[in-house]
Amino acid sequence: MGEDKRVSHLHYIGVLLFIGGCGVGVNRFFKTGFTPRWRIFLLTDLLILILYTTWDSWAIYKRNWYFDPHQILGLHVLFSIPIEEILFFIVVPFTTIATFLALKKLTGWESDRK
Amino acid sequence: MIYSDIALDAVLIAVLLDLFLLRSQMVTRGLFWLSYGLILPFQLLTNWWLTSKLIVMYTPASIIGRRLAGAPIEDLLFGFSMILLTLSLWDFFSQRALSKID
Repeated sequence: MGEDKRVSHLHYIGVLLFIGGCGVGVNRFFKTGFTPRWRIFLLTDLLILILYTTWDSWAIYKRNWYFDPHQILGLHVLFSIPIEEILFFIVVPFTTIATFLALKKLTGWESDRK
Repeated sequence: MIYSDIALDAVLIAVLLDLFLLRSQMVTRGLFWLSYGLILPFQLLTNWWLTSKLIVMYTPASIIGRRLAGAPIEDLLFGFSMILLTLSLWDFFSQRALSKID
């Protein structure tokens, strides 16, 4: 393909930037009220991180799935999990909550509920 | 088909936590299903990117073999479990924080 190798290493992290960018955009545009509740997000995501990195590290160890070393940054954190996978479990929950809050506001459903 | 087994368990656990432990009742709420319906196409889009470029690959023995948007069908279960658990925990902690203020 002749693509610059330095660019190819960004293939996975690029997806995360896209997903995270959507979340930031949604929060800003719809004024979802996410920011003041960042502590609640921290708590939520801590549990998600514990559960899903456990699953992920085990699956990588058992080789249920594996990654092209040329398309990830090559930074591995605990239990040989690519840094992108850890970030995935932060970015996706963030954008999920942003979506939920924006739709709550847009539809007016459950307006009696925080 | 170990991924299949764990993915099914993950959905089951997420639903049970949602209904009985965290009591956020997400699976009974229209707002949850609307959110999921909006997120799902984006999951399929990113799955397609990650698998068609062979960024992530799967050992055939760990999956059923049926694929959707390039990714193993099991990915739908994984995605659903994580979206449900995320919103369920978020709702649980939000309600708790609020009741402390009251």
